[in-house]
Amino acid sequence: MYRKTFYAAMIASTMLASSIASAATLTIGSATEPSSIDPQFSRTGNNQNVAMQIFDRLLETDTTIGIHPALAVSWKNMDPLTWQVKLREGVKFHDGSPLTAEDVIFSLTRAKNIPNSPAPFSGNVAAIASMTAVDPLTIEFKTKKPTPDFIEQVGFVYIVSKKAAENATIEDFNSGKAAIGTGAYKFKSWTPGDNLSLTRNDDFWGKKQDFDNVVIKFISNDASRVAALRSGAVDLIDAVPPGDVKTLSSISGLKVFSIPSARLIYLALDSSRDQSPFVTDKDGKPLAKNPLKDKNVRIALSELINRQLIVDRILDGSGEPAGQLVPPGVAGNEPLIAAPAYAPEDAKKRLAAAGYADGFGITLHTSNDRFPGDAETAQALGQMFARGGLKVNGVVAQPYNVYTKGASAQEFSAFIFSLGNSTPTSATGLRNLLMTNNKEAGTGSFNRVRYSDPTFDQMMQEAMGEFDADKRIALLQQATTYVFQDMPIIPLFWQKVHWAGKATLAYDANMTEDTSATLTKLAK
Amino acid sequence: MSVFIIRRLMQSIAVLFVTAVVVFLGVYAIGDPVEMLISPDASPAERAQVIASLGLDRPMWQQFLTFLWNAVHGDLGRSFVFNRPTISLILERLPATLELTLTALVIALAIGIPLGLISGLKPNSATDEAIMTGSILGFSLPSFWQGMMLIMIFSIWLGWLPSTGRGELGSFLGIQSSFFTLDGLTHLILPAINLSLFKLSLVIRLTRTGVRETMPLDFVKFARAKGISERRIVFVHVLKNILIPLVTVIGMELGSMLAFAVVTETIFAWPGIGKLLIDSIMRLDRPVVVAYLLVIVSLFILINFVVDILYSLIDPRVRLGEQS
Repeated sequence: MYRKTFYAAMIASTMLASSIASAATLTIGSATEPSSIDPQFSRTGNNQNVAMQIFDRLLETDTTIGIHPALAVSWKNMDPLTWQVKLREGVKFHDGSPLTAEDVIFSLTRAKNIPNSPAPFSGNVAAIASMTAVDPLTIEFKTKKPTPDFIEQVGFVYIVSKKAAENATIEDFNSGKAAIGTGAYKFKSWTPGDNLSLTRNDDFWGKKQDFDNVVIKFISNDASRVAALRSGAVDLIDAVPPGDVKTLSSISGLKVFSIPSARLIYLALDSSRDQSPFVTDKDGKPLAKNPLKDKNVRIALSELINRQLIVDRILDGSGEPAGQLVPPGVAGNEPLIAAPAYAPEDAKKRLAAAGYADGFGITLHTSNDRFPGDAETAQALGQMFARGGLKVNGVVAQPYNVYTKGASAQEFSAFIFSLGNSTPTSATGLRNLLMTNNKEAGTGSFNRVRYSDPTFDQMMQEAMGEFDADKRIALLQQATTYVFQDMPIIPLFWQKVHWAGKATLAYDANMTEDTSATLTKLAK
Repeated sequence: MSVFIIRRLMQSIAVLFVTAVVVFLGVYAIGDPVEMLISPDASPAERAQVIASLGLDRPMWQQFLTFLWNAVHGDLGRSFVFNRPTISLILERLPATLELTLTALVIALAIGIPLGLISGLKPNSATDEAIMTGSILGFSLPSFWQGMMLIMIFSIWLGWLPSTGRGELGSFLGIQSSFFTLDGLTHLILPAINLSLFKLSLVIRLTRTGVRETMPLDFVKFARAKGISERRIVFVHVLKNILIPLVTVIGMELGSMLAFAVVTETIFAWPGIGKLLIDSIMRLDRPVVVAYLLVIVSLFILINFVVDILYSLIDPRVRLGEQS
């Protein structure tokens, strides 16, 4: 009996010792780096990665973008224009002061007034008409118009300390002076271009973190990041290039963590105009009519694409064939819509029915540095279209920074683009990508091909105005089913994303492509 | 000398102005920064807000005049991405690059000149052949591949040296640098070697050619006849004569190493200005690109100026020419 206890104690103590030794510091090699420590300065992924470790939001998301209470514990709407949000009790900022309704009201007001912010959170707080603190832990919001997904909007804004951030400049955040959050880790230091250093917040309201210190090294070059992991300089890396996944998972002591992300790669078709710049007849002369306007032609093009082949051969398996906007797991995904099958015979019939039995000429455009395999995918599409009887006049690949301007200026006829969905439902993505481009209504901001279908717009307005969450999702699914029958864009695949780390770690691979120490644990 | 300096100064200002115009127009013709910066789920209202706050809603000539006016007052604008003054972004990263470049230069000179001398003094010997063949390798290996190989061998297989980042900084006389800590120095070795290999080969070849050209000259024969030791002939008289082409080339190369150590900095994740430039081009952070190129042009002007002064110190004939 004694002996047993003795052994158990021995084992426990050695395990403890080894886990402490390895748990002391977590070093992450990250492909991107933040532009500021101010969590409200930019809501692009690189800044969120850092913000989510130091600061919290009213909500947090899980690996499939499902929402869970964070600083807010509950929310309810009293009437269509009024929301009451209860805050978590006993939450402390890194300087020891308690979180109150005042901090939240201050943060949500501040979010729309960040000077020179390139990607502000102003849209998230646009619905707010007024905010009042009912008591230190309760806030009553009035909205300008009925906003069923109100909590999903304000819930993603990072909450800063009023005391620390009230008169703080961006430099104050970058130096750490104002970087006072409620998050799992405290800010220690930031050397732009080199590393960010964090220490554990022992007063954190959530689950205790496994690491005392975290160092995030910024290694933008893919090969160098992989080398850093292999040499042991870092414990975990993100954005593992698809070609390295097999090698890394075969090395003992290393492990790869993967998930199909909510980033859809699609082929956009210029379907709204009577003349399209890069569509010709077989001899290269302009056509009287734009064939891409015809739904049958769009579906035919989709059927000419062998998605699985692209995923297997070009992406080394790092993709999931797609037939709609958001992948399974994200609310709004319609399970009945499968990725369109490869059906060249049917495609030919459709082309003939549309009056293009001999095909037509088309030029494809793509970026070549935006995501793994973008230019190669375009070339493969070109070959598949050519095999289907089209005359592919060319495949033009450009650097992303030049390419986006042309894509948004409607200079192309068929082009590859991606959309990363970072919201809990498909609503935002559908609104921005497929609803009619209308500045006043705030819809279709990324509808580069100016697709427009009044019935779909109507269905979306109805869905976005629905307060019952389950009903809203059902309406979104209906809208998705309706719109993808018309093939407004050709969905290709959801990109699979990978992290790789030491086998002693466990990482929560997530659809939002976040890299954070809060998602890293010691493997059990 | 002062006439020379004033003339140089006027020329420099003209060069800077022309650079500013060309770079500004060039950079502003490419792409749309808003597309790069904005969040993927932004609403049209947010987009309009961003365009206005970055000043991109104004016509280009207006943006250029504002830029020029501010530049004359010493303000090169704020970065779109970081919302910080571009100059402070560049100056913040300049020390890292200087450190790397100077180390690479010292390595190139400390190894290159002696090897060049050996080759030049014993031409066509086995040693010479070996050194020359080695220098061909140094010339022709692409810096990118060479860097990956260094990482492969010294970080992954042998595990001797770190492969990324700048390491710990030490401070000495108020200067922060990785020269002052062991960790910093070990981080410096691989990138510095990678950057120096090409220059090293260049120095070897320049020195060798110089020695070969100088040795048969009359003054060397005369010095020998006078009974001066071979050592003194080589290290004092010959070396002094071959320094002029060496200083010219090294001056130019120093400039280009500072400005375009991009490849090395990217592979080794070295937080220098080259990496800042590449990142800024990719993200269309126009103010940073413009400010960077202006700073680099200024650096080139300065280095050339120093080279000119060095000439007159090394070669008395240059001084005499000025006087007459």
